[in-house]
Amino acid sequence: MARVMIVDDALFMRKMLSDILKRENIEICGEAENGKEAIEKYQQLKPDLVTMDIVMPKVEEIDGVGAVKEIVKNDPQAKIIMVSAMGQHSLVVEAIQSGAKDFVTKPFQPSRVIEAVKRVLGE
Amino acid sequence: MQDSYRELFLSESQEYLSNISNRLVKLESNPSDPESLNEIFRCVHTLKGMSATMGYERLTQLSHHMEDLLEELRGQKRKVTPEIMDVLFASVDVLSELVEDIKTNRESEINISAYISELEQIIHSDIPSASKAEAAFPRGKTSPVHPESIEFSEEELKAIRYAKSKGFNIFKINIRLVSDCLMKESRAFLIITNLKKIGEILKAVPPVEELEKGFFDFSFSVVLITREAQAVIRQEMMMISEVEGVYVNPVEVSAPVGPAANTPAHAYIKKIQSLRIPIERLDKIMNLIGELAIARIRLSQIVANIKEESLEEASVLLSSLISALQDEIMQTRLLPVAYILDTFPRMVRDMAKKEEKRIDLEIVGSDIELDRVILDEIGDPLVHLIRNSIDHGIESPQERKAVGKPPAGKLQILVSRQKGQISIEISDDGRGVEFDAVKNIALRKGLITQEEADGLDDKKVLDLISLPGFSTSEKITDISGRGVGLDAVKSKIESIGGRLDFTTNLGKGSTFILSLPFTLAIIKAMLVRVGKEVFAVPLINIRETIKVEKHDIKVLQNLEVIRVREEIIPVLRLDKEFVITISPEDKNRNALGEINSNQEDGRVPIVIVEFGKHSLGLVVSQVIGEQDIVVKPLTSLIKRTRGIAGATILGDGKVALILDIMSLK
Repeated sequence: MARVMIVDDALFMRKMLSDILKRENIEICGEAENGKEAIEKYQQLKPDLVTMDIVMPKVEEIDGVGAVKEIVKNDPQAKIIMVSAMGQHSLVVEAIQSGAKDFVTKPFQPSRVIEAVKRVLGE
Repeated sequence: MQDSYRELFLSESQEYLSNISNRLVKLESNPSDPESLNEIFRCVHTLKGMSATMGYERLTQLSHHMEDLLEELRGQKRKVTPEIMDVLFASVDVLSELVEDIKTNRESEINISAYISELEQIIHSDIPSASKAEAAFPRGKTSPVHPESIEFSEEELKAIRYAKSKGFNIFKINIRLVSDCLMKESRAFLIITNLKKIGEILKAVPPVEELEKGFFDFSFSVVLITREAQAVIRQEMMMISEVEGVYVNPVEVSAPVGPAANTPAHAYIKKIQSLRIPIERLDKIMNLIGELAIARIRLSQIVANIKEESLEEASVLLSSLISALQDEIMQTRLLPVAYILDTFPRMVRDMAKKEEKRIDLEIVGSDIELDRVILDEIGDPLVHLIRNSIDHGIESPQERKAVGKPPAGKLQILVSRQKGQISIEISDDGRGVEFDAVKNIALRKGLITQEEADGLDDKKVLDLISLPGFSTSEKITDISGRGVGLDAVKSKIESIGGRLDFTTNLGKGSTFILSLPFTLAIIKAMLVRVGKEVFAVPLINIRETIKVEKHDIKVLQNLEVIRVREEIIPVLRLDKEFVITISPEDKNRNALGEINSNQEDGRVPIVIVEFGKHSLGLVVSQVIGEQDIVVKPLTSLIKRTRGIAGATILGDGKVALILDIMSLK
């Protein structure tokens, strides 16, 4: 069973994503509220995949894209899916350049999130 | 001959004629283009055959003579000259007129003998020796006509052959995204990035820069030079979400020299893949589906009362089928914008020639689809805007040279999808519009007062140039400035629920932007409640919704107004406008009539709408939310009610009136 970590500053979004993924028998192995916490927890938990909100408040100068850079630096095989609102094209571009594998656009349909997760996991 | 044949003849011949015209324009800019010549020849030939079958004598004769000349050009016995181009253009115009006469049952008085003798003169004239020499050269490459074939330049062909010789694979990859993909530009960027990881991109259609701006219609093609196998590429692409389909095909190129392959016969024979259906029939079906939707709502209410599980399931299935049916029918009403844009290259060429200007026209996104009814409405406005750009925007070649621009002006028509709307941009790289000059002319002509002029900022250029009776051109030309101005264009666009915007950059060019709804039958609207009534406000008219304290609504010269940032906006109380009584308890009810427990905070919701240069605040009891609504036309009796454009049926079966913002004063 795949293990996923959810990174989002909004509890609501974390809950929603986690409910969507749990229904597909995907284990939520951890959650993080900001980029800095995500980097730390990634090291501990070694999840198969991370969903990362693209716009989060900076903690110690680390935002969503910053977290992607750091995680990919530590683990070049890391699989990260960005969660973006519409119109964040330049941030998405930056995240992809930093090593994000895919992105989903808010407001999302549950099927899109599942599709992205499964495709990135190669299922 | 039976009428049905006549109809078929008319519609088909018009297609052939517009194709011929467009190809002639291409041929004129590239006289040695064998593909255009072949296509023109084929169309003229078919037209001749059709006309002969129908017994249209003059059409047959004229196309027959054109065919003779084209045959000589195609066989490279004769070179394409400007004189020949003019004769061909003139002949096609006559063919079009003849077809038009048949269409309108008009007794035609067109004399074709002059055109025939001109064609004959050319055919019988001596072939100049220069072109004889050229005829000795081998024929150009004629590749089989394939709808999705990508054309390669000589350099690209060289690169492909070289890569092949080094053992690389060359694939043409066609990628289609799901049609509700929200960030196409980002999706395209991701796909391109991943392709670059496994190979070298030789070419993309549309080009990569356009893909990364989202200027494509959900599918695009990339030619990739790679070491990887076909299956690997497919697998890589399918790992990206929202990719609906991937087709990977090896690119085959013929040897650089050798005899040209003949076009296979099957390329000419089209299978019947479409039917012609009168639009009224689709409207009837659409209306029936509307009725079906209402019946479905009644049914589901009954089902809800019975509480029988299997019945509920059946009812849910029925609902989803009905909405799917509705979507499909909507799709059938759509036609690609190419339907009108296809005639533009010829038109622009003619206009440019008349004005002695040089213009390169580029059309992007003409495969994007729009409701037939809207297409019919925007043809004239588009022509007008293009005339405007050619006449007022783009300078003469001399003038352009003097300011360091290339002699040929660029005119671009860019069609794109923008969240629930279609946008058509018409840009030129001409002289742009100088705000002060425009303001002075408007003042001089007495169209605005000094006071009004002082209050204007330079974003309001469009308001000025679209004033009735305004024209910046000192001379009245044949093309524009004949009284029917931008004001007509603007009100036409607004009457079909669209809007017109304008940006200009002095010395660099101007852009007109048309924003249009996909369809007139379904629109995006904001539902608002006034007392017990629900109204739908078309989203395209809405600027913003705000909440103000009651005392923020001030009275200014007998008008109620609010101040939003630095702007004073008049407000209209919808309850007064439509005489709706609001009892005190209504104020605390929501749309379903339930009492609101979390007592409203006493602030007044206001929907700010825009039409033309005016803004207006609508005072409502509650803003319910956004929804796609099916527009039902009103009977003629109610039709003329000011402020009402139509009605729609809501999910619960209740009727909501759709506001006509334009007529709300």
